[in-house]
Amino acid sequence: MCGIFGYCGRRKAAPILVEGLRHLEYRGYDSFGIAVANDGITVQKKQGKISLGGADLSGIKGTMGIGHTRWATHGVPNDQNAHPHLDCPGKIAVVHNGIIENYAALKRELQDRGHTFCSETDTEVIPHLLEEAFQGDLAAAVEKVIPRLEGSYALLVVAAGCPEMVAARKRSPLVLGVGDRAFLAASDVTPILEHTERVVYLEDGDVASVSTKGIVIRQGEANVERPVQRIDWSLAEVKKGGFPHYMQKEIYEQPEVFSATIRTLRDEETPRMLEGIQGVTLVACGTSYHAALLCRYLIEEHCGIPARVELASEFKYYTLPGGDLVVGVSQSGETADTLAAIEKARMHNHPTLAITNVLGSTITRLADHTLYMRAGPEISVAATKSFIAELAVFFHLVDRLSGGKLEPALGSGHLAIGEALLQDLSPAVELCMGARSMFFVGRGPFYPLALEGALKMKEISYIHAEGYAAGEIKHGPFALLSPETPVVALCPPGPAFPAMFSNIKEMKARGTPMVVIGAGGNQELEEVSDVFIPLPGGGLVSHILASTTLLQLLAYHTAVALGRDVDQPRNLAKSVTVE
Amino acid sequence: MQAVILAAGEGRRLRPLTRSRPKALIPVGNRPVVDYVIDALLACGIREIIVVVGYRKEQVIRHLNTLDEQVEVVVQEKQLGTAHALLQAKDLVKGRFLVLPGDNFINSASIARIRDVKNAVLVKEHPYPSNFGVVVTKRGFVTRIVEKPALAPSFTISTGIFSLEPDFFSFIRENDLTDAVGAFIESGKKLRAVPADDWQDAVYPWDLLQMNQKLIPSAPPEKAGEVSGTSVIQGQVRIGKGSRVGPATCIFGPVVIGPGCEIGPHACIMPFSSIGARVRIEPFTVVENTILMDDCEVGSHSRIKDTVIGEGVHLEDHVSTVITAPLMEIQGEQIKGRFGAILGEKVRAGPFTTFEGAIVGNSVRIGGGSRIRSTTAYEDGGLVV
Repeated sequence: MCGIFGYCGRRKAAPILVEGLRHLEYRGYDSFGIAVANDGITVQKKQGKISLGGADLSGIKGTMGIGHTRWATHGVPNDQNAHPHLDCPGKIAVVHNGIIENYAALKRELQDRGHTFCSETDTEVIPHLLEEAFQGDLAAAVEKVIPRLEGSYALLVVAAGCPEMVAARKRSPLVLGVGDRAFLAASDVTPILEHTERVVYLEDGDVASVSTKGIVIRQGEANVERPVQRIDWSLAEVKKGGFPHYMQKEIYEQPEVFSATIRTLRDEETPRMLEGIQGVTLVACGTSYHAALLCRYLIEEHCGIPARVELASEFKYYTLPGGDLVVGVSQSGETADTLAAIEKARMHNHPTLAITNVLGSTITRLADHTLYMRAGPEISVAATKSFIAELAVFFHLVDRLSGGKLEPALGSGHLAIGEALLQDLSPAVELCMGARSMFFVGRGPFYPLALEGALKMKEISYIHAEGYAAGEIKHGPFALLSPETPVVALCPPGPAFPAMFSNIKEMKARGTPMVVIGAGGNQELEEVSDVFIPLPGGGLVSHILASTTLLQLLAYHTAVALGRDVDQPRNLAKSVTVE
Repeated sequence: MQAVILAAGEGRRLRPLTRSRPKALIPVGNRPVVDYVIDALLACGIREIIVVVGYRKEQVIRHLNTLDEQVEVVVQEKQLGTAHALLQAKDLVKGRFLVLPGDNFINSASIARIRDVKNAVLVKEHPYPSNFGVVVTKRGFVTRIVEKPALAPSFTISTGIFSLEPDFFSFIRENDLTDAVGAFIESGKKLRAVPADDWQDAVYPWDLLQMNQKLIPSAPPEKAGEVSGTSVIQGQVRIGKGSRVGPATCIFGPVVIGPGCEIGPHACIMPFSSIGARVRIEPFTVVENTILMDDCEVGSHSRIKDTVIGEGVHLEDHVSTVITAPLMEIQGEQIKGRFGAILGEKVRAGPFTTFEGAIVGNSVRIGGGSRIRSTTAYEDGGLVV
């Protein structure tokens, strides 16, 4: 979380920095700030979002600078705690993404030596340490300081009168952009795309010195070479292009995303590691966890092997079963907990497979093999198209492991999504938007979808929503049902239909307003629901994809109707890169 | 110079084809009509393009985002009329500008004729003027404009393409553009009538076939797919990426085939066929003068001629279409068409179904052996046994 961005070139740095930070805003938007190096260091920082304006850039001279957009971990979001942070004389500026775990000890030690601190952040120890180590060579100073830092960091440093910007990383993402006459550094590629499509991914422990002459990367004592990679995302993909919100844009991209992911995976060879596996453990967080949970039903039914699904943040407290393939799922490929889980699996000699959306991200370098989703850049904090892309990867995996059992359904999956996009959900939105609390219920593979629907609803509309397995509702939550708590029930045709149908009738009997998603043509079902949303025809795969899309749209339209900030919900950030 | 493309209207007379997209997005020669309009503007060096969207706006915006050229999007929340749509772009218009319907074909030579003329309209002679705004001219200037008259005063019609000054906005009182143009002329302003070089509208669904015939040849030939060595390909043929053409298949251009299709073996694709993406055409089937949209499947031994088929339609074996000239009722008016079939999206037809000049609604399911004739209306979601 937090986004950092640096520029070193020939143009005026300040406006470029602010524009770049705008692209990173989804990583955090509590405050932002920039520091531009000229004869001295000029700093501008501000609480709140960049898009709200407030930055006065006029008169900031200098062609090299660093910027930061913050998701608060240490210290409340205010102007003082905003990055960049400076050393005592104000000659060295630092932006930092990550957490310095031993900052308290370092801070006490520095204060004893007479350094004055202006903020409550962990980051501020870094400029003061640099102040002591700096003797004209900034890169050398950084190399001297980083062994003292425990925790995770991606750092950018500039110093007054110094022609270089120094970048360093450990367990936090950092990418360098190689432009025509400019070099850039950022937490991810989105702000770089505007300048160049050639990037260099830094490895843990790298210290890069970036100047207008070029980039020198050192690891310990030695100079190292890192390959220049080409990014195939286009700038248009990271723009809203006429949609009012990124989230809506991304929901409408889903048919394309699904078929693109299926198509590219189909052309790839099945990785060797999938042959003869005895069991699978899927590790993920948040939305990816729900996709994994859903996949479990399909793996066990079609492939005849046991599948375990674990929250990445809890995985480290479990013991690993022998021989399992461990699959880590992370859209950004930088989710700290998922990375730690993959690392743990590697340490125990398990084969590891990564599923991610970002080429060259950290998870791809940790895992033995990577399957890519083709979702393109996802900017909205609430994950939508990446969920669909994860499902596509999972469906593909199940198809390969089961010898082609899902194949016929995969080719037409995008049609089901397209059909769901045409639904008018306004009656359902009206029913939900007045609620303070609501439930999402489903059975079988639709239980994880109920969880996902509830997650989408709470994260962007701020309505308290809970996802439940329909059978569990009677074991407690039933007490909460009332005419004020709408229930969204997923009731597609299938083996769970009869049980689900009677659950719906039971809930209805308590006066609960029911929004039911099911196949059209069943009069009894339509009569028992207050709002009925029909699913398109087709089998399980189509129903899963269409239900997902409907739940996303329901959350989206409810949030819009309530006037919420859909793309940047309060307190959240896109990729959770701290534990 | 700026151009405002009006792409907000549904195009109701093209139903059932407009269920998931407005008329401007209906593919002809495998590209939405609005793409040809944008191309023509770009060819004339007009890069500042504003598109007014409304009906199914998300689909239009999504499509516009996939184009190379960035366009500005304005939303018309309620589709009240063409002048109301134009009014939505008022704040973006800076100087003299063009207005174009996004759902008619226009070529760049026509736009070049009007680009540098102050206050002008592109006009065209048409054998059935009553469907359009009919224009009366005198010495090259418009003296009168009447929208869809029962009795047309001339055979000259307005193409809906205008070159205007920002002061035109003050004449918009009603929701229709023709009324505003009428008020503009009555106030004593001059509006020059410039004859268009090439322009075409599709008023009724079967008109799409003529437009298709005109536009397929504009698709540059390409063979990106996998073509069997024993197939015969003649004339101008474009085959998309990842498509497979099986053995002994004949393709006689002009034909366009989208990406990811599977054609044949032993299929016959005759001239003026547009085949969308991921379409499957099984052995011994003939397709001619037809628009087949994305994700369709046509069974073996079928004969599909003079037909427009929406997305995701599934026709089983031995299905045929027979060209007839039925009298249709469309949006309350009686009109004679000439075509085989117009099928809405996701129609499913069983084996040995025969279509005789029929328009079939979206998602209609047809049992095997049915004879589908023009005399019955086949509403959306219906069932025919």
